[in-house]
Amino acid sequence: MGEQQPAGRSDVLVIGAGLAGVEASLTLANAGRKVYLVERQPHFGGNVIKSEEVFPNMECATCMIAPKQSDVIENRNVELLTLTDVKEVRGEAGAFEVTLRRSARYVSLENCIGCGACFEPCPVSTGNGFEEGMSQRKAIYVASAGVLPNAPAIAMGECLRSKGDDCTACRDACMFDAIDYEDKDEELTIEVGAIVVATGYRLGDAGLPEEHGKGELKNMLGAFEFERLRASNGPTEGEIRTRDGEAPKSVAFIHCAGREELGYCSQVCCRYLAKFARYAFDKLDGVEVYEFVREESVPGKEAQRFVEATLKKGVKLVRTAAPPKVSGNGAGVKVEYRANGKSESVNVDMAVLASTIEPAEGAADLAGLLGIETDRFGFFRTDGTEPASATRAGVFIAGCGTGPKDMPTVVLQAQAAAAGVLKLTGN
Amino acid sequence: MPGIGLYLCECGPNIADSIDLDLVAAEVEKDGKVARVERFKLLCSEDGKKFLAESIKEHGYGHVVVAACSPKQHQTTFEEVAAGVGLNPHMIQMVNIREQCAWMTPDKEEATGKALRLVRAAVSRVRYHRALEQKEIECNPDVVVIGGGTAGVEAARRIAHEGRKVHLLGVAGLGSEPGADDAPAERVEELKQDPLAEVHEGCTVQDLLGFFGSFIARVKTREEEEIEIRAGSVVLATGAKPFDPAGFPGYGYGMLAGVTTVGEHARAEDGAPALGTDRPVKSVAVIHCVGREKLGYCSGTCCMEAMGFARRLKQSSPETEVTEFFRDLCLPGIGDDGFHRETEELGVHFVRFRDVEVAQDGDGLAVRYQAEDGSSDSLAVDAVVLAVGVKAGPSNADFAGMLNLGLDEHGFFQSEHPVLNPVGTVTEGVFTIGSCRGPASTSDVLIQAGAAAGKVLSALVPGRRMKLETRTSEVADKLCTGCGLCVAACAYGAVTRDDARRVAVVNEVLCRGCGNCAAACPSGAAQHRQFTARQLDQEVTQVLG
Amino acid sequence: MADEFEPSVIGFLCNWCSYAAADQAGSSKLEVPATLTTVRVMCSSRVNPVQLVGAWLRGADGVLVAGCHPGDCHYQTGNFFARRRFALMRRIMDTLRLDPERFRLSWISASEGKRYAEVTSEFSRHITGLGPNPLRNRPFIE
Repeated sequence: MGEQQPAGRSDVLVIGAGLAGVEASLTLANAGRKVYLVERQPHFGGNVIKSEEVFPNMECATCMIAPKQSDVIENRNVELLTLTDVKEVRGEAGAFEVTLRRSARYVSLENCIGCGACFEPCPVSTGNGFEEGMSQRKAIYVASAGVLPNAPAIAMGECLRSKGDDCTACRDACMFDAIDYEDKDEELTIEVGAIVVATGYRLGDAGLPEEHGKGELKNMLGAFEFERLRASNGPTEGEIRTRDGEAPKSVAFIHCAGREELGYCSQVCCRYLAKFARYAFDKLDGVEVYEFVREESVPGKEAQRFVEATLKKGVKLVRTAAPPKVSGNGAGVKVEYRANGKSESVNVDMAVLASTIEPAEGAADLAGLLGIETDRFGFFRTDGTEPASATRAGVFIAGCGTGPKDMPTVVLQAQAAAAGVLKLTGN
Repeated sequence: MPGIGLYLCECGPNIADSIDLDLVAAEVEKDGKVARVERFKLLCSEDGKKFLAESIKEHGYGHVVVAACSPKQHQTTFEEVAAGVGLNPHMIQMVNIREQCAWMTPDKEEATGKALRLVRAAVSRVRYHRALEQKEIECNPDVVVIGGGTAGVEAARRIAHEGRKVHLLGVAGLGSEPGADDAPAERVEELKQDPLAEVHEGCTVQDLLGFFGSFIARVKTREEEEIEIRAGSVVLATGAKPFDPAGFPGYGYGMLAGVTTVGEHARAEDGAPALGTDRPVKSVAVIHCVGREKLGYCSGTCCMEAMGFARRLKQSSPETEVTEFFRDLCLPGIGDDGFHRETEELGVHFVRFRDVEVAQDGDGLAVRYQAEDGSSDSLAVDAVVLAVGVKAGPSNADFAGMLNLGLDEHGFFQSEHPVLNPVGTVTEGVFTIGSCRGPASTSDVLIQAGAAAGKVLSALVPGRRMKLETRTSEVADKLCTGCGLCVAACAYGAVTRDDARRVAVVNEVLCRGCGNCAAACPSGAAQHRQFTARQLDQEVTQVLG
Repeated sequence: MADEFEPSVIGFLCNWCSYAAADQAGSSKLEVPATLTTVRVMCSSRVNPVQLVGAWLRGADGVLVAGCHPGDCHYQTGNFFARRRFALMRRIMDTLRLDPERFRLSWISASEGKRYAEVTSEFSRHITGLGPNPLRNRPFIE
């Protein structure tokens, strides 16, 4: 290859280090490209690591993705930048100049060995967003046991130091000199030939009553809440419990809750609600499981069998024309519905609504920065017959940023995005 | 002889507080098997790595044991340190005295005893390590794509690039059928014009040999010429068949006049599609989910195709009554709900059924169905169009045989991992895309074509030699009796039997290093290079104390 | 005396699942009996029953082999081979005059640190109850 390449031409920026971002990065790194893998959270792995088990084989999600995560950390071609997002993008395909904004972690990734001695002494306690507020964390925290990198960050906005208090509890407890209160936010500029957007999705509340999870509706849950109850590293160590700490004797799973409101099918909920039914049967002896279904959407060679096998475990399947109405009923939830032309209702200890797959927070802003289009739902628009390309040359997309899809499709789209990058920037 | 160097990491207080490292060091020194024992506060730190590098260099060790945290944390770190000072990275053995000793054993005396056993095991083991050299081989960056439908053409387009050639084989006589999967003619033309692509239409693949980096395809062209095509990777895009409703009397296909399938009309021109009856057609029923129960899966594309057909029909003759009968409406795409709504607005009726049957009704047809609430009803129509599912094509079995691929119970190609590597297979370098691996919408097909391109473009880089994994298995010819048990044990087709020499051979390109063949071998001929029987034996002896 | 008996138990752990589970048990500071010492292999299918016979003859009181759950093997089918091999090995253990209960095959996934601690604790107690391996200290075995 005799020709002189313009500087930074073959390097790639991948925004978002969930399943799509990790897969795209590793595929590109394998081709010999230098990849800047940027993730705004202090840990990476996206939404996948919130699940205990995943369809179709009910495989342990964190175990499944762990080798890929180790690869990312060890791979010389991948530079993982956590607590980092994109501030500005200039240039064009083949020669982008991107300014990244890296927030201070206040913990040295070189020195910290992840022993966790700094958590206990911290005097500030707040709700843990990763656990959907079902447990507390400190101002110095890791989102959950086992996340990578295995090093905490300080949420400085919650820390007493930002309020003028010279609290040094965490630093005093650290034996490895890993805590640095003088750490600062910084900006860095990189030159890349292509950008892959892998920012994922937000699990939305469409169709869920506003007050779900609180007061009268405290046992009305969204999908991630139920998932975290089942998670072995979650707030209840994998035991499914109502807000009062009781094992529910009946659980209702409600499909299509937000579909009408959003105007599209979130595609994966029929499968994950079947998965949830299996969680319930596994963990709760003698539990009654209801699935309120409008449409059984199970495309592909595995989905139907998975759902049918789940139903055979004793699910009470109720077909309704419209999603049921849910309301609080003492400690439990009352589900009112119309089936076979009659109005019926049932009381359950816990109800889980199919949360919807919606554009990630900040998607619209990011689209603006990158100069790419979004569709009427807010998802990134793809270019005609190129399902992994955004509407601007040099920008590719992978994952649920373009719309709901299951995990295998996310991985495939990431590999396709990598193909697009490799072809554009010379391979 | 420089001997074995033993390094004990204190990991700050994590190890030092829980294990009496002085005692461990003293006992190991007494054993007399190591040249020297050294301690460091934090070996993985920059200072620690520097210390380790300088020490190994100074003492010229040929074998090193590092007792520290889990190898899953820092094996790569210490191997890189070793390689940096000229010590083969395979000559290092790590001992996990943190996660699997200090942290799980509250009693210091017990923890120390366990640490001692583990360190002794590693010291005994490391003596039998060999300095494995990483091999590189030339590989062919070209790609063979088999199947000239949308999947194959789109994959070929994405793969064709400077430095590599793509051969697109449009196969005939192996079960592929013309239909909705055909790529637009312009795309095929484009590919034919591309100097980096060679398109062979209407050929037959007789055999596929070789392995990742050097496959050979033996092909008979349309002109009956036998040629050989060499490539580094193979992409199978051999398509699928529509479910055949004939033989299911409940649908009346092939028995009653006026029953056709959506696929037959897939490329109907403007104007009323031929509906299989000479009678004037005033009402049509489109029946979804045909074959779904028999096949056991939802094909995912037929609802949209059926609605597309219904719309074309309604647009070409707006007075015709069109009713769609469905069990479930599968609308996974982001625009699909909207498409459905528009179809309803055009006047197409939608009726959900639990059970459906097509019967003769006087001169016409009747769709008899059981509705959701259990009640029975019937609709008289002039014609019925069936939206059928997709089933695996018969050529899948042939290719599976040639390439050691797995087929699932439906006859579709099996993925290496259903989530992490959907288009990959257990045979390295062979990918399957499109409906040959399962029902796929156009969007699915395009994504899969792109994914195969991504895998291929990143694994086979023109001019780059393939680095082989070192921690693989091998068979010692002199001990091998040719029994073939190891061949059967390998999930990746990496072990084959050389019939001429009557011994088993491990292909290092394909071996994933599990060691199953080594355990299967009755004579000890098959060994995993980094987990030999002798190495494991040494560990077992020391671990028993 | 019997209540001073500290068994020698070997655990063969597969790299991808059970070894990771053991690491997790340690990271979570769960207690695991020190009498169980581990040997890492890449896959449970690497463990050869013939080598285990060597371990029995050298006086191992108990042997645990732990791999991935069936269907989840990192190498597709390795653990199925392991399952079959050890079913067979159990059948011949009584020809060595060894209680087949001294051998355990367990499936432990990488996220099951707690389960690893439970399985190993229970197995160690079980082996302690069985007493020392009768083949231990047989003078003609090295």
